Amino acid sequence: MVSMNGVLLISFLLLAVGIAGVLIRRNALVILMCVELMLNAANLNFVAAARHSGTVNGQAFALLVMGFAAAEVAVGLALVVALYRRRDTVSVDKIDLLKG
Amino acid sequence: MSFARALLEALLRDSRLITPQLLLVGAATLMLWPLDGILFQRGEKRKWAPVTLVVLALTGLLMLGVPSGSGFSGMYKVDGLARGFQWISLLSAIATVFLSQRMLDGMEEQTVEYYAMILFALSGMFFLAGATDLVSIYFSLELMAVCIYILAAYLRNQDRSIEAGVKYFLLGAFSSGILLYGLSLLFIAAGGQGTNLSALNQALAMAPKNSDFLVFAGVLMVLVGFGFKVAAVPFHQWSPDAYDGAPTPITAFMATAPKAAAIAAFIRLFGTGLHGVSSDWVPPLSFVAGASMVWGNVAALRQSTMKRMLAYSSIAHVGYMLMGVLSMDVAQGAQVIWLYMGIYLFMNMGAFAVVIHLQGKGEGERIEDFRGLGRRQPVLAFAMMVFLLSLAGIPPLLGFFGKFFLFKLAIEQGYVFLTTLALVTSAISAYYYLMVVNQMYFREAPEGDRPALGTAIAAVVTAACAVTLIGTAFGPWLLEWAGRIGV
Repeated sequence: MVSMNGVLLISFLLLAVGIAGVLIRRNALVILMCVELMLNAANLNFVAAARHSGTVNGQAFALLVMGFAAAEVAVGLALVVALYRRRDTVSVDKIDLLKG
Repeated sequence: MSFARALLEALLRDSRLITPQLLLVGAATLMLWPLDGILFQRGEKRKWAPVTLVVLALTGLLMLGVPSGSGFSGMYKVDGLARGFQWISLLSAIATVFLSQRMLDGMEEQTVEYYAMILFALSGMFFLAGATDLVSIYFSLELMAVCIYILAAYLRNQDRSIEAGVKYFLLGAFSSGILLYGLSLLFIAAGGQGTNLSALNQALAMAPKNSDFLVFAGVLMVLVGFGFKVAAVPFHQWSPDAYDGAPTPITAFMATAPKAAAIAAFIRLFGTGLHGVSSDWVPPLSFVAGASMVWGNVAALRQSTMKRMLAYSSIAHVGYMLMGVLSMDVAQGAQVIWLYMGIYLFMNMGAFAVVIHLQGKGEGERIEDFRGLGRRQPVLAFAMMVFLLSLAGIPPLLGFFGKFFLFKLAIEQGYVFLTTLALVTSAISAYYYLMVVNQMYFREAPEGDRPALGTAIAAVVTAACAVTLIGTAFGPWLLEWAGRIGV
C-alpha cells in the first residue's frame, strides 16, 4: 500500500499547481480547470484516507465532491459564455468595470 | 432487506427535522418545471412574486413545528443556533422579494428562475445553519453559493452584473477548493474515519504528535475558505465588486442571508469540531477579525458610491462578529453574534431599501444622490438616518446594543486589544455614515422630481425602522430575551 505521506505529497503538488494556475493564468476557462485540479487534490486525500482506515466515509465524500464539481462547472461555463457574448473576451484582466 | 427498511424508517423519522427545506426545494423545483409554463404565461411572470412569498410564509410556519434534535447520522441538527440563524435568512429572503419588484418590473426581467434561485439558496442556508458534519457543511455551503453566483449575474444584459457574477464565481470556486483541501487534511489527521464534528473534535484531541502540522495546515485552509465566504480581510477583494455589480436587491440579500448562514457554520465548525485545537486558530482568526475592522472601515471612508460603502461597512461588521467566534464560551458567543446579525439585518435591509428607492430614476448609486432628501421626503430621510446611525452604533440606538454585548463578551474573554481596536474603528465608521446624513440634511437638492415611493419598498422601510426603534426601547433586555428563546 502506498504510504499516506506519498499521497499527501502528490495531492499537495496537485493543489499547488491548481493555485498557481488560478493566480498566474488570465483565461477564465483555464482558471476554472485549475479550480477543478484543486478539488481533485482534495478528493485524492479523501479516497486515500478511506483506503487507509478501511471505511467508506472518505469515498462517499469524494463521490459527492465530483457531483458538486460538475454542477459548479455548469454554472461557471454559463457565466463565462455570458461574459463572452457581452464583452468578446474571456480574459479576467479585461473585466475591470468595477473598481474602487 | 431489513437494512433497507431500517434505512427508510430512519430517513422518514429524520425528515421531520428538514420539513422547511423539503418545502423550499420542492416548491422551487415545481416552479421551474412544470408549473412555469402552465400557471403563468409570458408577460405574467411577476405573479411568481406573491407565490414565492406564500412559500416563504409557509416555510416560516413549518419552522415553528420542527422539533429540536439531531438526525441523518448526526449530519444535521436543529437547535437554538440553527433556528435563530434560519429565521434571519428567511426574513432576509422575504425582504429581498419585496425589494426586487420595482427593479424587475422596470427592466422587464421578471422570470421564475429568479424566485426559484432565491428559494434554492435559502434551502442551502437552512441546511448550513444546522450542519454538524464536514460533508453537510461543505455541500450546503456550496448549494447556497452556487445559487448566489447565478443571482449576482442575473441581469445578463448588463456588463456590470455579468462581471460581478464572474468575479464572485471565480474567487468563490477558488476559495471552496482551498476549503475542501483543508477539510481533507483535517479528515486525514482525525484518522480518516468519521466526518461528524463532535467525533472530529475527539479524534483531533487524540491525534498523534506528528500530525500537528497537518492539523495546523488544515485549520488554516478552512479559515481561509470561510474567510472568503464571509468576506473578511484579507479575503474580501471579491465583495465590493460583487456587491457593486449585482442587482441591488440581490446585494441586500448577499449582505445578510448568506453571511448569517456562513457565520452560523463558522461558529459550529470552530466552536464544536475544532474547539480542542483552538490554539491553532485563535491567533490567525484574531488577526483576520482585527484586519477586517480596520480595513473595512478605512476603505469605506474613501468610497463615493453607496453600494461599495455598504460593502466595506459589511466587511467591518463581519470583523466585529468574528470577535464572538473567538469566544471560548461557544454558547454565549453564538448568542451575541446572533443578536448582532439580527440587528444588522434590519438596519441593512432598511438602508438598501432606501438606496433601491432612489435608484428608481437611475440615481442612488452615488452618495451625492442623497442630497436634499431630508427636505423632499422627510420621513424616508429620517428612516435612513436611523439606519445609518444605528449601523454606526451610536447610543441609544439598537445597533449600539449589538456592539455593546459583543464588546462586553470580548473583554470578558480577554481580547482587550481587539476590543480597543473595535471601539476605535467604530468611531471612525461614524464618519462615513454621518457623511450621508450630512448630504441628506445640509445640502441643496438637485432639480428634478424624485420617484414616488413604491408600496413594497415603503413596507420594508417601515418594518425595518419600526423594529430598529422598538428594539432600541428594549435594548438592555435583548440578551436576556435571546437567552430565553434558546439561541
